[in-house]
Amino acid sequence: MIQVENITKHYGQHVAVDQLNFTVKKGEILGFLGPNGAGKSTTMNIITGYLSATSGTVKVDGMDILEYPEEAKAKIGYLPEFPPLYTEMTVSEYLDFVSAIKKVTPAAKKASLEKIMDLVKIGDVRGRLIKNLSKGYKQRVGLAQALIGNPQVLILDEPTVGLDPKQIIEIRNLIQQLGQEHTIILSSHILPEVSAVCERVIIINRGRIVAGDTPENLSKSLAASSKLLLRVGGASEAVLPVLQKIAGIKFVEVQGVRETGTTDILVEAEKDKDIRRPIFKALSQAELPILMMRSLDLTLEEIFLQVTTQQQEVS
Amino acid sequence: MLAVLQKEFRTYFLTPLGYIFMGFFLLISGFFFALNNLFPASSNLAALLGSLTSMFMFVVPILTMRLLSEETRQKTDQLLLTSPLKVTEIVVGKYLAAVAVFLITILITGIYPAILRIHGFISISEVLGGYIGFFLLGSCFIAVGLFVSALTDNQVSAAVITFSSLLFMWIMDAVQQVLPNDTNSGVIFACLILFALAFLVHHAVKNLYVTALTAFAGSLVIGSIYAINKSLYDGIIIKIFDWFSLLKRYDGFSSGLLNVSSIIYYLSFITAFIFLTVQLIEKRRWN
Repeated sequence: MIQVENITKHYGQHVAVDQLNFTVKKGEILGFLGPNGAGKSTTMNIITGYLSATSGTVKVDGMDILEYPEEAKAKIGYLPEFPPLYTEMTVSEYLDFVSAIKKVTPAAKKASLEKIMDLVKIGDVRGRLIKNLSKGYKQRVGLAQALIGNPQVLILDEPTVGLDPKQIIEIRNLIQQLGQEHTIILSSHILPEVSAVCERVIIINRGRIVAGDTPENLSKSLAASSKLLLRVGGASEAVLPVLQKIAGIKFVEVQGVRETGTTDILVEAEKDKDIRRPIFKALSQAELPILMMRSLDLTLEEIFLQVTTQQQEVS
Repeated sequence: MLAVLQKEFRTYFLTPLGYIFMGFFLLISGFFFALNNLFPASSNLAALLGSLTSMFMFVVPILTMRLLSEETRQKTDQLLLTSPLKVTEIVVGKYLAAVAVFLITILITGIYPAILRIHGFISISEVLGGYIGFFLLGSCFIAVGLFVSALTDNQVSAAVITFSSLLFMWIMDAVQQVLPNDTNSGVIFACLILFALAFLVHHAVKNLYVTALTAFAGSLVIGSIYAINKSLYDGIIIKIFDWFSLLKRYDGFSSGLLNVSSIIYYLSFITAFIFLTVQLIEKRRWN
């Protein structure tokens, strides 16, 4: 549905986006993750045709955004970082105007506006001036604007920024609901959001893609070795020699005592080795009961920090 | 385009700007009408319109300052530029909205000739000609203001720059009276124009040969005209400035003459500034 090929954007000497390549399939929800200033908004502005890339092409449903701007733009609904609202208008005046510039026929307009206002829950403020609305409502009016004209692609730049936790959950649910009919690109620097909503995540940093996969695969592939946290009923002097004899264990570290008479131990296995069973057998033979065994998968936060800091070390 | 026009027109009256423009313009024109026509019992409407042209400097910036600058500042240009509209449609829509407010305002001043008509004789053709010229002149200034508002995201800067540009046009009209009109300065002026042209060509194609060729051909033309008919250079500076002057061309209208070349000049002037505005916005995407 969306093909981004080799896009690069220079602002003078500064390279905001560097050779970005990715595609988004129809019906997919893609998360765009990156620290502030990574080039997320620039990329989105290029996809929507607001900015032009210094080089590279963007195709929406097979249509190049520069060669067929009208056709391609008609397929996109865009919610920029700052919702583009005319604050001196009322909500319904504003949505009427957006319907007109998106060439929605007057006949279809009424029904579709009702549906959209229902979906983003702004029906009760339709008569109010946008400048008097709260941040949460403004954001929703911005989202409503993106939905007008029933575009196949939705591009949402930090859609939940500035909302309270309840609204964030509402918007997330709404995005998931919209994902059933639309192709969505969503940017965020809030990680749980992306892992909750998106089927696929692209992490970008300094204008480059540093990782891209499903949230689950990302945590798997980046966890170079699996770590286990154990709580064993016994003193560390008794436990450590038993563990050190097990094959496949790379690293054992005593974490301290949290519960009297037990020891917390961090065990790191070699890559692709499941050491849970050997640990269980060895410790039970030594009559040291395992009170807790928990695997420490990398959370998206850790992956994010890992890939973004790794890149900084390289460059 | 119609949607942008409607929205922009409504915005004039949702914000105070439309009222300020109309109020200010009508107040001053009423004042001038009283001074020029009512007290001296004169039916000379052309003189009234003529003195009103100097008001453009003050009122046009009010009308145009927020047209495009506010879109950039509020980031609503993201909505317009990512919608299926063409940039030309957006710019023309906005321009026409400003012109519509201006047109409505001068239609209100139509009561002045009506008042004069009751109490004395006025020439309909002269009034009509004066109004058409007045409208076209104002529309040209609005086009300048539109262009300036695309240059900045600050309304106040847009207003100040528009005011200065219009003031500059006025001053040029006064200054050109004292410009030299002898043959030599005419030649030097022609050379300066050629120099500017060569610079533009060089900037556009970045090729030294083409630039040199342009400069050579240009100097050949200047030289041969000098050899054949020296007197062509007499007063050429003033002639050129006169030709380009928007205000000079207005004089014809106020005596009831509809000069086709002037109308075409005004319309081309408007088109040129709209074109420049569109180019400016298109170019910004690439920066």
